[in-house]
Amino acid sequence: MHRILAFVKDLLFPVSQPEQSPEELKSAFKNRYRNFRGLLTANNNALQAMAELEKVYYSRDSYRMATVRSKITTILVNVYKMIGNIQEMSAGRYKDLETIFETISQDLDAIIEKKLSPVQGPLVLPLSEVDKKVKSEAGEKMANLGEVSHLPGCLVPQGFVVTASATRHFLGSGHIGEINRRLQLLDPDNLDDMLKTCEEIRKIVHETPLPQDLEELLHVHYSRLEKATFPGCRVALRSSALGEDTAGVSFAGLYRTELDVDRDSLVTAYKEIIASKYGAKAIAYRRKRGYRHEDMEMCVGCLVMVDALVSGVTYSRDPGEEESEVIRINAISGIAKGVVDGTTMTDLFLVSREKPHAVVYSEMRQNSDKLPVQHAAASSLTYAQIRKLAETALLLENHFGQPQDIEWSFDHQGVLHVLQSRPMLIGHVVGGGDSPALESTKETGEKPFLYGGIAASEGIACGEVFRVDSTAEMLSFPKGAVLVLKYPLPDWAPLLSQASAVIAENGSEAGHLATVSREFGIPALFSLTEAMTTLVNGETITVNATARAVYRGCRRDLLRKKAVKKDIMAGSPVQRILTEALQHITPLNLNDPNSPQFKASWCETLHDITRFCHEKSVSEMFKFGQEHHFDRATAKRLVGKVPLEWWVIDLADGFREGTSYEDKTVRIENIVSVPMLAIWQGISAFPWAGPPPVSVRGFGSIIFQSTMRPDLDPAVASALTTKNYFLISKNFCNLSVRLGYHYAMIEAYVSDLLTESYVTFRFKGGAADTKRKAVRAKLLGDILQDFDFRVELRSDALLARLKKQSMEYLQKRLQILGYLILHARQLDMVMNRPEAVEQYKEKFLADIGEMLAEHTLPTLAESVNGEQQTLTG
Amino acid sequence: MVNNKLLLVDDEADFREIMAKFFSRRRIDFETAGGCMEALDQLGKDIFDVVIMDVSMPGLDGIQCMAEIKKIRPATEVIILTGNASINTGLIGMKRGAFDYCLKPIDFDELMEKIILAREKASGKSSP
Repeated sequence: MHRILAFVKDLLFPVSQPEQSPEELKSAFKNRYRNFRGLLTANNNALQAMAELEKVYYSRDSYRMATVRSKITTILVNVYKMIGNIQEMSAGRYKDLETIFETISQDLDAIIEKKLSPVQGPLVLPLSEVDKKVKSEAGEKMANLGEVSHLPGCLVPQGFVVTASATRHFLGSGHIGEINRRLQLLDPDNLDDMLKTCEEIRKIVHETPLPQDLEELLHVHYSRLEKATFPGCRVALRSSALGEDTAGVSFAGLYRTELDVDRDSLVTAYKEIIASKYGAKAIAYRRKRGYRHEDMEMCVGCLVMVDALVSGVTYSRDPGEEESEVIRINAISGIAKGVVDGTTMTDLFLVSREKPHAVVYSEMRQNSDKLPVQHAAASSLTYAQIRKLAETALLLENHFGQPQDIEWSFDHQGVLHVLQSRPMLIGHVVGGGDSPALESTKETGEKPFLYGGIAASEGIACGEVFRVDSTAEMLSFPKGAVLVLKYPLPDWAPLLSQASAVIAENGSEAGHLATVSREFGIPALFSLTEAMTTLVNGETITVNATARAVYRGCRRDLLRKKAVKKDIMAGSPVQRILTEALQHITPLNLNDPNSPQFKASWCETLHDITRFCHEKSVSEMFKFGQEHHFDRATAKRLVGKVPLEWWVIDLADGFREGTSYEDKTVRIENIVSVPMLAIWQGISAFPWAGPPPVSVRGFGSIIFQSTMRPDLDPAVASALTTKNYFLISKNFCNLSVRLGYHYAMIEAYVSDLLTESYVTFRFKGGAADTKRKAVRAKLLGDILQDFDFRVELRSDALLARLKKQSMEYLQKRLQILGYLILHARQLDMVMNRPEAVEQYKEKFLADIGEMLAEHTLPTLAESVNGEQQTLTG
Repeated sequence: MVNNKLLLVDDEADFREIMAKFFSRRRIDFETAGGCMEALDQLGKDIFDVVIMDVSMPGLDGIQCMAEIKKIRPATEVIILTGNASINTGLIGMKRGAFDYCLKPIDFDELMEKIILAREKASGKSSP
């Protein structure tokens, strides 16, 4: 509405142009109008993409780099179009916009397409030379293991690391580029597509020959290991990824570990690990947590196999509770594989962190199913071993400065080997023994029909049962279902981003799938016997992992206890990129078109540019009439049976043909603007209930009040802005309304093409303090939401939008807006009485219902043909 | 005089087939081309007002192809339709005169409207 001031200036000092022939004028006008339409459409597309981008950013859900890239591309393309349109409409008046846009788009491109420039280093490093200083070559896991090897009393297997430089040397930029291209095209929600792409990439990795120098180095270092141990020694190849170092992100069990590798299988096993970076579970995980595939590099550790008697996982603090004074040890005979992949039951020991590390609780689960009930199974660990594990755990926690998750093996000589130590993920694990969480089963309502197991990840969720035992079943897993498994294998991890909860017949809290469930905040109940046979596909159940109970149906009473969802993307590279990118996109600095800073050169963000272009496009349309003596652009007073005072400015073809442009007034029956007529039906549907405390014509008293009340918008003081203006064309209408202290704006383009059709409504202010204004804005927002508007509320400022809907649909919405802007005024008097506000809401809804039922709207054709019955006489 | 005929350029045969069905159902007069050279051949035989253009294709890519088409017939409007969003190609495409830059998958009705709008612009340019 501030633009009126600029118009008035133009009215007083119109710039005259040489006369053009009617044809020239017509063609020039057509061109300008096409640009105007194009600009409005591009504006809406850009604003929508911005809103969507902000929505994913604040959703706490995961989003992909591909989404960020495509939304930003859409915004840029549309802003570019807007600049083109406004430049064409204004004969290139706003050159600054082009320079600013160029800078912003280059900045965004640099942020989005950030490239790493790695330095080429050694291809292989002996583990004894590895520590955290060479993390960028050895990867996270091997750098940590190198650190451990330097600690007194800690033994790690002998070995070497095939570095990140080696991986780049192996795949070369060509293959890496091709792989990244395939990953970008991949739809990660389509498991079928994903598995296909993963297989293709795996093939690329396997079919690429290892460079000869790298292959020779692998053999040289393997021979050294043989020399240090015995000829033909077996090694384990382990992944050691780079660029996955955010706290709270485990990347547990996503990559391959190859056991029992000898000289002959060394190269194949190496490739297998490199390829596992592109396995389905790793891709799904990175996507969920906001990591980009190209930012992550794979290194490979090659370690001599420990001849393990007993192995396991130690948490230096029991993850079940914060500040736990207990160490948790899960142990198993033989190698540790069964612990982490969830295939085997493990013995559990809870050990005091205080010397002498007494065992406070133990559970021999390993052979429990093979032994008679009540019969104690043999312990897999001796007390001396338990003490050694506890001491090591505390030593490692102390060295790394945070609780550790440690994988280990005792060999047949009783020597402890640390295989891995990484920061522990603080989640919640309950189960095993008397759990305080049992209390939560004291609920009203039906008792659980399944009970027991191990709470591998706490929480409550409901969904339909879906059993998965094969890849085929995996592919048809429905989003939001409860995943039911026999074994919690890491291979099922891609389903975790779609499942509401996980139940497994086997496994423990130490497995990878348990870790990932905790990370994703999905309830997981493991070692629930007979889950696969008891639970029926399609049945709706509620899983309360915390209480280790499963209920029939969806138990809303229990779900209410659900904790706040955690931000799965927090701190991830993709989130960092989006945070940085948004700075160039969404902040709005150009608020007030009346301000001397409302200039092209003051635009800082893409939002500023859209705001500026939109404002100027309307005034350019207006100016056209001025410059070419159309004279149609003069404001005309709407006369007839009209409540209040309304002015109409015809930008293009909004008046019926033959309407005299000399007249200072216009009657509603001479208006053919589809959106204006719809709004008008809403305005005139019910008599205005006034009485206003301030006459709308009494500008003086408004000025007086606004000087008394400094919280009012300063723009109120301008007499001109207190008029209500319709700027119209046949398909377009922009209505600025100021009734009392309300400021409202309705803008619409309504046509047969959904692409360009939209309705926008802004509302702000009112005679009340900020809190009451906010109540009013919320009330309007609630009503509009009922009619499917997309509503944004910020304090007392309301923005409601609709786009890409049919003409009839939008006309109805415009009627509603017309009604609301006129009658919202009544709320001024009652804002301090909440019950009255509610009454008004009901009255409004009733009126709107009646109005929509009564009035059939004119179609475009009818209004053009002049069949429309006017309500104004 | 404008000929209301559309040309679809895309190296993916499946996509061309789906679009061909769609165009036939909407009674849109169209031809398809699997690459830029084929598109230029078509352009020699026929007059098109709107071209729908893929970006990554073997040989000349969509952006280069658009430049070639515009050299021969400047009034042609090109709608870029790609599965691979990129800020750089998006803006280069627009700067070199594309009517619009759209991402696959696209809603058929939406594409239809974009064709109508591109046609409107093309006819505006070629009419006196």
